[in-house]
Amino acid sequence: MEEPKQILTPEEVSRLAVMAEAELANEYLYQILEVGQTMLQCGGEVSRVEESIRRMCLAFGAERADVFTITSSIVVTVYAHKFGTLTQTRRISGTQFDLHRLELLNALSRRICAEHLGPEETARALEEVQAVPQYGPVAQMGIYALASASFSLFFGGSFADVVVSGCIAVVLKIMDLFIKRIEAGGGASVLLCSCLGGLLSALSVRLGLGDNVDMISIGNIMLLIPGVALTNSLRDMFGGNTLSGIMRFIEALLQALTIAFGLALAARLM
Amino acid sequence: MRYFLELAAAFTGSMGFAMIFHVRREKLFLASLGGMLAWGVYLLMGLVSDQDVVRSFAASVFMTVYAEVLARVVKCPATLFIATGCIPLVPGSALYHTMEYFMDGDVSACLSQGLATVLVAVSIALGMLFPTSIFRLAGRTRGKCPR
Repeated sequence: MEEPKQILTPEEVSRLAVMAEAELANEYLYQILEVGQTMLQCGGEVSRVEESIRRMCLAFGAERADVFTITSSIVVTVYAHKFGTLTQTRRISGTQFDLHRLELLNALSRRICAEHLGPEETARALEEVQAVPQYGPVAQMGIYALASASFSLFFGGSFADVVVSGCIAVVLKIMDLFIKRIEAGGGASVLLCSCLGGLLSALSVRLGLGDNVDMISIGNIMLLIPGVALTNSLRDMFGGNTLSGIMRFIEALLQALTIAFGLALAARLM
Repeated sequence: MRYFLELAAAFTGSMGFAMIFHVRREKLFLASLGGMLAWGVYLLMGLVSDQDVVRSFAASVFMTVYAEVLARVVKCPATLFIATGCIPLVPGSALYHTMEYFMDGDVSACLSQGLATVLVAVSIALGMLFPTSIFRLAGRTRGKCPR
């Protein structure tokens, strides 16, 4: 005689269904947070990231989605009758502006909303976005030289100043790449770059290569100085994201102080 | 002549930063152009006002409208053009001088320069907010998602 199979009560069946739904929803949420995290790290605004995550959550069936984003963290809680309440959190570190990727991610988030992509498809699309090539080291040196020379010209440097400023920018970029390779913190790179930049511009004028120390170093400093970060922090604050704004404001201030310290150090050394 | 040099430098400077921010292909030109036009507006406003705050605000409003319109034409986030277009406007050199005074121990010069820097940054930030919210409002009434 076989023992009769245990039969689940309707209550247990519905609980199992909720658990299965919750498992799936958690996978969706995980991928959506991946998209949101990458957006934030590529330089997306806090409001854009929050709105995109909210829309993507509603697209996969959440009835309610509460998203809280600051520059260093994302917290999402979704609710739906079929899977209950779920929360996932991310710690975000290391923002590196990449507006091309941001554009692709924005398009991806719209696609997720419109075509209801599943977790696997989303992960695959995200991998494609992350495989997009960036400028190589040599190209980056050229880019830094262009930007630095431009700002030297912009603030009224002579032809010699412009050329010297561009050359120093290449040296600074090489050092920056080297420091990044040995994985030192961002502050160390800024301090060394501003100090070396100050030394090299003073040295070039002494050797008779450039005409004006200020005009040479302003080009290099513009690459480091957090003018954009300062403006963006105020934009965040006025736009209602006070906490992110304050964090960015303090970060910008600290970076400016680091640069000033590096330059002062260079001035004492010369 | 001086102004032409500045405009050319604003163009190449914005282009440099656009490339640092990894902007690609045809958008690279449009982004650099935005920076140059913004600086052009700043220079033109010199005829009307000698206040840095007013000139920066006007240039920032213009630049943001340019960015929001382009974002709809070429279908990409407006941030791409805003982040690069504001490069010639942001008070980088003012911030640099503030820090210079700070390191020299010249407290009063540091404070007044610092205040001027923050005021310019505030005017640029506010100049960015207005057009963006108006465009967003217009998009919402037509039932489209914000760009």
